[in-house]
Amino acid sequence: MIVIKTNNLSKLFRVYEKPAGLIGSLKSLFNNKFKDIHAVENINLEVHEGEIVGFLGPNGAGKTTTLKMLSGLLFPTNGSATVLGYVPWERPIEFRKAFSLVMGQKSQLWWDLPAADSFELHKEIYAIEPSRFKKNVGELTEIFQVANLLNKPVRELSLGERMKLELIASLLHDPKLLLLDEPTIGLDVVAQSAMHRCLYEFNKTRKITILLTSHYMRDVETLCSRILVISGGNMVYDGQLQGLKDEFGKEKLIKVQFNNLVPDQVFDKFQPLEITGNIVRLRVAKNDVPNVLAVVSQCEDVLDISIEDPPVEEVIEKLFVSHRLKKM
Amino acid sequence: MLRHLRLMFCFAKFSLLGELAFRSNFLLKILVEMIWLGILLTFFKTIFGKSSSVAGWNEHEFLFFVGAYYALEGFVETFFLENCVEFSELVRSGNLDFCLLKPIDPQFFITLRRVDWSTAPKILLGFIMIGFAMFEIGKPLELWKIPVFLILFLCGCSLAYSFLLFLTALSVWMIRNQSLMEVWWLFTNLMRYPRQIYDSEWALPIRMVFGFIIPALLAVSIPVEFAVKEINIQFTAFLFVIAVVYFFISRIFFNYSLKHYRSASS
Amino acid sequence: MKKYFNIARLSLKERLTYRGDFLLSSFLRFLPMITSILLWKSVYGSSEQESLSGFSFKQVIAYLLLVNISRMFSSMPGLATNLARDVREGSIKKYLLQPIDLIGYLMSYRVAHKAAYISTSLVPYMILFGSCASFFDTFPTPLGCVYFFMSLILAFVIGFYFEVCLGMLSFWILEVTSLLYVVTTLSFFLSGHLIPLDLLDTTGWLDVLKNLPFAYLAYFPAAIFLQKVSDEELLLRFFIGALWAFFFFLLSRVILYFGLRKYSAYGA
Repeated sequence: MIVIKTNNLSKLFRVYEKPAGLIGSLKSLFNNKFKDIHAVENINLEVHEGEIVGFLGPNGAGKTTTLKMLSGLLFPTNGSATVLGYVPWERPIEFRKAFSLVMGQKSQLWWDLPAADSFELHKEIYAIEPSRFKKNVGELTEIFQVANLLNKPVRELSLGERMKLELIASLLHDPKLLLLDEPTIGLDVVAQSAMHRCLYEFNKTRKITILLTSHYMRDVETLCSRILVISGGNMVYDGQLQGLKDEFGKEKLIKVQFNNLVPDQVFDKFQPLEITGNIVRLRVAKNDVPNVLAVVSQCEDVLDISIEDPPVEEVIEKLFVSHRLKKM
Repeated sequence: MLRHLRLMFCFAKFSLLGELAFRSNFLLKILVEMIWLGILLTFFKTIFGKSSSVAGWNEHEFLFFVGAYYALEGFVETFFLENCVEFSELVRSGNLDFCLLKPIDPQFFITLRRVDWSTAPKILLGFIMIGFAMFEIGKPLELWKIPVFLILFLCGCSLAYSFLLFLTALSVWMIRNQSLMEVWWLFTNLMRYPRQIYDSEWALPIRMVFGFIIPALLAVSIPVEFAVKEINIQFTAFLFVIAVVYFFISRIFFNYSLKHYRSASS
Repeated sequence: MKKYFNIARLSLKERLTYRGDFLLSSFLRFLPMITSILLWKSVYGSSEQESLSGFSFKQVIAYLLLVNISRMFSSMPGLATNLARDVREGSIKKYLLQPIDLIGYLMSYRVAHKAAYISTSLVPYMILFGSCASFFDTFPTPLGCVYFFMSLILAFVIGFYFEVCLGMLSFWILEVTSLLYVVTTLSFFLSGHLIPLDLLDTTGWLDVLKNLPFAYLAYFPAAIFLQKVSDEELLLRFFIGALWAFFFFLLSRVILYFGLRKYSAYGA
């Protein structure tokens, strides 16, 4: 079942310039200059039920804008979209009951009250049946392990704890679609992993479709079956993570640790990236890997060899650069 | 309907809990309201110490008016004012989005979310003043007049609410809207005294604009006149009609402003 | 000098950046005046007396206009709240470490801010007073003008040190902002901002009220301008005012000293 389908979705923003200087300010009283920004251009995507899709892109690429259009918060300038069978920006009540949007670093819980109270309010707002509500609260509290946090005022909690509660709140009404906008921003590694684990659980057990934006590769690597890469408002990649690596990651990183100093053969044949003590790091084309292994295997005192993909950030970076070049 | 009542109850409950979390703050706020009441009554007493009537209103009728005004102000401050002021912050921070995501009518949610319990006593005190004024006046109020008075009073409240909503909606269009409180204070200034004060010749433009177009002058005057002075049928009917009309117009403008927010926010 | 000029320039620019606000608030600030004028007209009309407690109708209106000028000098928006916040958040620390005098710094900032504020408000006020010129029957003598100006300075000094003292209470009291709210509300009435203090003669508190520091924030300058203060009284009033100014000045120094000491004893 198709949960999200968009067709040439686009958004143009008109930004008015705020001039500097006294005269400029006076002038702007009568005549305002503006600039058009193409935040999102011709996005075409299709998401099926149960998928976890990662939406990657640098800051300002248009991720949040796209997400806002999909949740009905923004009108597009062009194109169309259907989410869960509804047109999002018409905002029918049934639609609003069927999905959740969580934005990292922004809280919709009442600041001065314990989360339990916010949850109860949520129950009233979404008209959640009491027994269902109780069950959900119980389950979710268990999964996130936040039972002791429920009765503390939200303002006293750390960001990580708050995000967990935000996530619980967003799931109380059994949404079919979960939209997450930079949910792990500002969280430490432990909290990030906890969130990944929980989201993964949900997707498995409740078949919730998840669309998650981030500029952290870690979020995407662990969770997403599919990634979309957006840059400068355009979609530049839509497919599996591995496919991305295959297409753009034509190199491998090899790390070799020797017992003693790095032998000369390694220097002669290849250009090392760096040498620290007994460890040498090389970046070689995929095809050259067997050669390197051949040479290294002839060396003595090899303690350890590892072959890795270059960090995906690099791959993505290459993608953006090539896209920018294509545009020019 | 029932759902909205339940929600209102929830809002009221959680607002109270939130306020009680800062007990001393809450008590000080109530203290401030009491001081304001003291100032109001001292001012009233001072004026009537110098003159036996003001613009055709004697002391007891005027007290009735003061009580009605105080109750109306309390009503608006308790249920709406805080929410409307917060709106511009919601727009600025982008947290308005959260309100729009909820499966509730946005106007209901945004304008009623928080109940300011520290100003709630004003409503009660206002009506106590009204009761006291009635006692002083001597002759009792006809029974049929009571519900009609209450309806007219609510019309006045609705008028004030519509005006406030209109100002609130403007936050979407203006970058910073700190002047909401100032403009609101101006509006209350016009409601604060009996409309007969504006009977001067040169005050005609004020009577025209604020008596018919933005009828702040009528909001408290007409209900009170209905209760204790001569009933003016035309003005009374006018107040009722205009309150209903402005309710719908302000709602339309509010929703229109939300639409604008949704095409412009980034 | 240049520094102050720049502050003034920035302040003006800040106001113009929020252009909707600036135009609106300048104009709207004076609209309640109309309501006051009409109210008092009705009061005087119905009382059938020319003068109430020594004030004629025109003088009451002139008074209400003049207290705006007093308040222009004595109001210190944000002074106490910002100070309280700085203490709460620990930015006060730098006054322990650097050779800057906190109160001196606040004073120079306020003076510059006031100068900028007064200069930007000049035009709206001139328009206002111009259109209400008919309410001013009498004008003070040159000497009276000097006294008027002196009383405005006094209003500034008392207002400043009073708020500084309040703000510094946050060394010991957590919720100073709420307390401030109470004091501001009381001050609004007791300073004569709402109604000339003389009209409260029936309450029996008039003498007390006139000697409180609040009276100097709004009532006193306006009363001088309207020649409501006799020559003998004038000396006494200035003397008492100066005492209050000195009192709050001393108090602020004492509070600062003990406050900083408490601060450095307990750390941030």
